[in-house]
Amino acid sequence: MESSGSAAAAVSVEGLKKTVAVGFRRRKVEILRGVDLLVREGDVFGLLGPNGAGKTTTLKIALGLMRPSAGSVELGVRGRQAVGYLPENAYFYDYLSGRELLIFCGRLFGLSRAERTERAARLLVEVGLEKAADTQLRKYSKGMLQRIGIAQALINDPRLVFLDEPMTGLDPIGRVEVKRIIQRLGEQGKTVLFNSHILADVAELCSRIAIMRAGQVIWTGTVDEARPTHGATLEDFFMEVVTA
Amino acid sequence: MTRVIAVALNTFKETIRDRVLLVVVLFALAMIIASLWLASISLGQQGRLMIDFGLVAVTAFGVLVAVFVAASLLHKEIEKRTVFILFSKPVGRAEFIWGKFAGLCATMLIVVMGMGIFLFLLTWLVTGMVSGWLLAASALIYLQVLVVMAVTIFFSTFASAILASVLGICVFAAGQLSHNVLSLTRLGHSVVLKGLSWVVFVIVPNLSAVDLKAAAVGEAAPRWSQVASWGGYLVAYMVIALVLASLVFRRREF
Repeated sequence: MESSGSAAAAVSVEGLKKTVAVGFRRRKVEILRGVDLLVREGDVFGLLGPNGAGKTTTLKIALGLMRPSAGSVELGVRGRQAVGYLPENAYFYDYLSGRELLIFCGRLFGLSRAERTERAARLLVEVGLEKAADTQLRKYSKGMLQRIGIAQALINDPRLVFLDEPMTGLDPIGRVEVKRIIQRLGEQGKTVLFNSHILADVAELCSRIAIMRAGQVIWTGTVDEARPTHGATLEDFFMEVVTA
Repeated sequence: MTRVIAVALNTFKETIRDRVLLVVVLFALAMIIASLWLASISLGQQGRLMIDFGLVAVTAFGVLVAVFVAASLLHKEIEKRTVFILFSKPVGRAEFIWGKFAGLCATMLIVVMGMGIFLFLLTWLVTGMVSGWLLAASALIYLQVLVVMAVTIFFSTFASAILASVLGICVFAAGQLSHNVLSLTRLGHSVVLKGLSWVVFVIVPNLSAVDLKAAAVGEAAPRWSQVASWGGYLVAYMVIALVLASLVFRRREF
């Protein structure tokens, strides 16, 4: 899964800053304090960090959901046409069925009727929801919602996929299923950038990782570089870096 | 355009599958049927009372449904974070606003015109005769509802759902009275009051100008050219409200 060092940049973040005003007195809070990050094409990239480190904000700015206060984010793909996104704790239109949601998302990408019907059917099989395809989303379990969330992120066959905490709240079976999907995306040569607190999954899935703390990237490298000695875990390394 | 249609279809599904809407519409139909009782105690004015009461019910329920649904649509998307799904895809903020409005237009067409046609048939069944003005009045109630909806969507881009609803209802009430305010100040001599009433008249949509309730009960009907020009003014008002809503919503971060 290791990508070559000369691969083109899929996501390039330089000096990214974000300040927001909070409270009645509009107190300024710096969420991002100069984030630099490079994700190469074909990477399965893990963005790690404690809560409030700025991982989700970085993803949101990359997707245009927030504006940066300073710095820039460049994507190696043109526009959002080739980008897929699964938000954290995603909520979907619960009055739609799984198939209807995928067809709706396909329509937003301007896919033809034949394309969106075919892709929706194929993705439902890929995420193991073909039997629940016509069930309303309000009847889906958390794991099923996460899988339909990944399916909607893939409806446009994106080259770059952002997954925000894709394993959160899943039972062991759900986690295995989501991990398999991410593995498959990596095998298909897609660039995947995901946030996670589950370091064992990150170690298993990612080619490269970055660790964020207090709005900055404090370490970046390969998973092997993070586990230099035999028997060392990514958790040990993470704790060492974050608490340093 | 494809994306506007996609958002519109989704909004239509969302609102039409909402059971609260169904309950409200059933209640409105019950109110229209209740006009039969009112009509039965009137002296020789059965048809007139039915139409009068019925059209007021169509207007009141149409406006209430439109305002509350329009005020909550954007907030629901933001609170439930479905905006993340939409705006991470190539959907523009203006496309979202116009799509939401178009979807709601389709729902309100069914709600308002459904109630109007129901009233038309009921009047015809009870009195044996009914004027086509009743349907024209329902169509123009629909236009008034669309204007209030567009204004409420504009308010909801920067205000809370409750505040947007209240402001929407205020605009509807003021829209029924703005013409009267202008007429009343003409009687006085205060230049300031006259100026202020003109400002109110320009800012607040003159909804009473397309009110055909009187014509529907057999009173003097306005000229069609007059109704058409006021209708054009309301459509322009609606477009301006939605353009402003798109501009304000473009600045929102999620």
